[in-house]
Amino acid sequence: MKVQGKKVILAILTFCLSLFVLFSIQPTHQTAYAADQSLQRIKQKGTIVMATSPDYPPYEFEVQKNGKSQIVGMDVDIMKKVAKDLGVKLVIKSMSFDSVLVAVETGKADVAMSGINPTPSRRQSVDFSEIYYNGGQSFLINKTDVAKYKNQSALAHKKIGAQTGTLQYNLAKSKIPGATVKGMDKNTDLVLALKTHKVDALGIETPSAEAYIKNDPDLAMFKSSYHLNKNETGSAMALKKGSGTLVAAINKSIDQIKQQHLANQYLADAGKYMKVNTHNTSMWHYRSYFLKGVEYTLIISAISVIFGVLLGTILALMRFSKSKILHAIAVAYIEFVRGTPLMVQVLFVYFGVGIIINLPALLSGIIAVSLNSGAYVAEIIRGGINSVDKGQTEASASLGLTKGDSMRYVILPQALKNIWPALGNEFVSLIKESSIVSIIGVTDLIYQLNIVRADTYRGVMPVFVAMIIYFIITFILTRVLNYYEGRMKHAR
Amino acid sequence: MPDKPLIKVDKLEKKFGDNEVLKEIDGTVMAGQVICVIGPSGSGKSTFLRCLNLLEHPTGGKVYFEGKDTETFTESELTTLRERMGMVFQSFNLFPNLTVLENLKLAPMRVKKMSDQEAADKAMSLLKRVGLEEKADVYPASLSGGQQQRVAIARALAMDPEVLLFDEPTSALDPEMVGEVLAVMKGLAESGMTMVVVTHEMGFAREVADEVWFMADGYILEKNKPDDMFNHPQNERAKDFISKIIGQ
Ligand SMILES: Nc1ncnc2c1ncn2[C@@H]1O[C@H](COP(=O)(O)OP(=O)(O)OP(=O)(O)O)[C@@H](O)[C@H]1O
Ligand SMILES: [Mg+2]
Repeated sequence: MKVQGKKVILAILTFCLSLFVLFSIQPTHQTAYAADQSLQRIKQKGTIVMATSPDYPPYEFEVQKNGKSQIVGMDVDIMKKVAKDLGVKLVIKSMSFDSVLVAVETGKADVAMSGINPTPSRRQSVDFSEIYYNGGQSFLINKTDVAKYKNQSALAHKKIGAQTGTLQYNLAKSKIPGATVKGMDKNTDLVLALKTHKVDALGIETPSAEAYIKNDPDLAMFKSSYHLNKNETGSAMALKKGSGTLVAAINKSIDQIKQQHLANQYLADAGKYMKVNTHNTSMWHYRSYFLKGVEYTLIISAISVIFGVLLGTILALMRFSKSKILHAIAVAYIEFVRGTPLMVQVLFVYFGVGIIINLPALLSGIIAVSLNSGAYVAEIIRGGINSVDKGQTEASASLGLTKGDSMRYVILPQALKNIWPALGNEFVSLIKESSIVSIIGVTDLIYQLNIVRADTYRGVMPVFVAMIIYFIITFILTRVLNYYEGRMKHAR
Repeated sequence: MPDKPLIKVDKLEKKFGDNEVLKEIDGTVMAGQVICVIGPSGSGKSTFLRCLNLLEHPTGGKVYFEGKDTETFTESELTTLRERMGMVFQSFNLFPNLTVLENLKLAPMRVKKMSDQEAADKAMSLLKRVGLEEKADVYPASLSGGQQQRVAIARALAMDPEVLLFDEPTSALDPEMVGEVLAVMKGLAESGMTMVVVTHEMGFAREVADEVWFMADGYILEKNKPDDMFNHPQNERAKDFISKIIGQ
């Protein structure tokens, strides 16, 4: 009986979720056929929101300017011009590269611009502007290998690294005979793989390659000899499907940029930033980045653990409730949340729920992590309640206390005391797991770590620093929790 | 002397799955009476007590409280019933997260809506009665077993119950502490409190009980005056059981 009820509820939940997803897709299609008001909407709003992943110099990256971090690069300059031509203000939203296209599809941003190649498969889900820049393809190699790898044909049967899902990745796979292609998410990781000889060469866009050899004396590059279709290999802006009028307006600006050769000028400007930026690559110089990251990581974990405990308590009580419906809802929720990865939940809250209410990234992150933590805390609390001697419930019932009072004054206080260590562990693990929110652009420690890596061209040191910071935080926290645990034992 | 039936049990039955623990139990407890229940382990004594205040729900028969059929009680009437039937457990079951005083104040404040001051005054006078007023502000864990059980009795009394049910209140205690608890119980009986006591303390039963009920295998096999029960029991099983506990 119970198991069946559970299944039914799970089925209902899955059904609701799929409905929700269906609804979220529907509007995208509808707008494709409706009269195109994309340009008018931007002008009415007075802003154009650009989604970008600022870890890709010289296209987009973060720098410190007057003590404040700022996103700069060729893409940003181009978008500034576009905004100026449209007569609107530019707003930049940063997030991981995986998220920028989703952001325009779900309306979180108007334009995605992050050195994106307009591949045919991407064209199926978004509209693209004209190509605004075609830097060409190159290979990055270790300087010690210059004699060995003089050109592309020398790379046959070698190990080649490239960003997963990019043009470079596909080209290396299909056009270099016998090559093993190793995909990673970030160029910073790839460069590290190259320098530690895990790969022999790196497929990368020419401007990025140039930026790397300028900043790292151990690296060298050569241009590729691919024969490429110009319409697919350059960078373009991605917009929501059915943005015809806006695309047309943007293309006008792009035409001007091309005629006046503005892109090269923007690249040169970006290069200047990079020089200033890489002048001092000590981690101390970047302390404000790490500090800000720590601040956000702590904020997210602390708020989430509080809401997690509240939600967890409610869910645990629902599980003990006589009402079959409440019980089933709680069980379904807990099973569902524990059965799906936190990353997917973060994406779902930010992009999925974001269609209905526009939630900022930080809030989405906190909500997702709280909802997730609630499910785990519920199980901890349930265990805590079960661990309280049955005699306690009987004694309070024999005094005429209601179930609610008995829970509140007798059972829960004892349960919480029993599970204090487990709750502390949950907090510590939240600090570590909340790092996933960096994918939607919450500037937590991991996000800052990636920014610093992209900025300094130093692969390992920032990772090491972040690791030490995480350890210090969790170590201190564990001591503090142990101290209070000891005090609570004393109080008995 | 007692004349009004406070609790009446009629063909009471309790099953846990296939396990028939109580079978056709009949009995009446008059106001002011002290009933002692004896019997071998597993015979159903605890279950019987717990059916009286409906911590366990009978699977057959009736339990009447002041003439009312408890089966028809709503959830809130049930809490009222339990409020009027105090219970003292073998393992004390004090709330370890609360001080002694808070243990006594909780139910009067939450259930009877007494003010903090009123409840505290009442608690202090009850603690005085069981001789533990100086322990008001300590946590139960720092008390001896005998002291904990006296606090538990005071806690039950704080609700001004009509009946007190005791489930082997002294059997978890070190021998030297049994006396202090029995003394408190004796005092209660003398003050006219109605009591149903599961116990193997023959001395207490002889001195205080109005009736002794012998239970075995889920039946009440004999009800008798204490002297008759202990000196010449009628039932063979009772004879056997009593000779064993007197012999030890
Ligand atoms: N909640 C329960 N679920 C299932 N069986 C139970 C439950 N409570 C008691 N029983 C069974 O009922 C029978 C009588 O138990 P009970 O505790 O009433 O006996 P008792 O006379 O109080 O024994 P003791 O002297 O050991 O306390 C035992 O066989 C016990 O296993
Ligand atoms: Mg028992």
